[in-house]
Amino acid sequence: MSGESDMEQLTNLVVAEGELTNIARTLGRLALDTNAGHTLLLDKSGQLISAQGSGPQRDLIALGALLAGAFSSSRQVAEILGERDFRAIYQQGAYESIYTLMIGEQWLLVVVFDKQTHVGLVKVLARKASEELERILQRVRQGSAQAREQVVSVQFRDSVSNTIDLLFQD
Amino acid sequence: MALINVANREIQCKIVYYGTGFCGKTTNLHYIYGHAPARAHGAMRSIATENERTLFFDFLPIDLGTVHGFRVQFALYTVPGQVLYERTRVAVLNGVDGVVFVADSSPEKLEENFQNLIELETNMRRMGKDLGSFPFVMQWNKRDLPNAVPVATLDRYLNRRHVPAFPACATTGEGVFATLRAICKAVMAVL
Repeated sequence: MSGESDMEQLTNLVVAEGELTNIARTLGRLALDTNAGHTLLLDKSGQLISAQGSGPQRDLIALGALLAGAFSSSRQVAEILGERDFRAIYQQGAYESIYTLMIGEQWLLVVVFDKQTHVGLVKVLARKASEELERILQRVRQGSAQAREQVVSVQFRDSVSNTIDLLFQD
Repeated sequence: MALINVANREIQCKIVYYGTGFCGKTTNLHYIYGHAPARAHGAMRSIATENERTLFFDFLPIDLGTVHGFRVQFALYTVPGQVLYERTRVAVLNGVDGVVFVADSSPEKLEENFQNLIELETNMRRMGKDLGSFPFVMQWNKRDLPNAVPVATLDRYLNRRHVPAFPACATTGEGVFATLRAICKAVMAVL
């Protein structure tokens, strides 16, 4: 629990270019090895960090939000049952299925795969990829504060503020 | 937790509209969807019951376009307001960067607003976040009701932190964008 509180004190996560390449490589390999249409890395609020795979074009932003919602909901179910938590959920369809696995306390690895692939293989390889991703994400967390300074300046905030005023007028 | 993706040059933040059942959270999102420039938003998705009450959440992605080379996006969510869905509200709050509390101005809803606000504070605390030092704005909705509770009264009972508060009528759009602008800016201020 203290680990989760520590995580929550972060107000943002900055993913630098090199680390995103590493994340994409791991997701790409997982997609290839499981023949998955999509492999996604989300943060638990539903934001998409990276997506790989050559499946049909889909609204991945909405998919990320809905999957993270379903996962959050399942954790509340776990609490009612007195389980510490559910670390994975499996959604089975006639043609495609989704396996979602929690990484640490902050991230979700999602594999969207079809009926040609056995779920057992997906579980094993997703677990392996999650260990690799956890190492990368730890580094991302540690480098976040420094990398943030390079992006978020006073001028940047002012420009965003002006854009907000411009777009959302009464 | 806001996500700054340097490689993809994207910034993503999550905003949650919280409040009692029928206070107008979904109506806020519908108005934004219908009246913001088309390029500034994606498709709205609702997980609702047959009679259109929010069952899980509504979701509306907002896209500010590119600012200083970064594409800035806000994901707007609502929670289900009915008392029995507290667990679902906790799930939707996960990883939130900013909260809008939508209060219903009807006199008979004052106590329910108050209880709902206490619940929000408790849920945020459980996530290690203090509303006092968190991007947070309030909206006094349904100002068009003939017997609406005076703004000063709502302010006294519900806005102890003196955060920005906006009178609104979400069905006509009054105050909807003012609220949205305020919460987006509050989130950006602490990014």
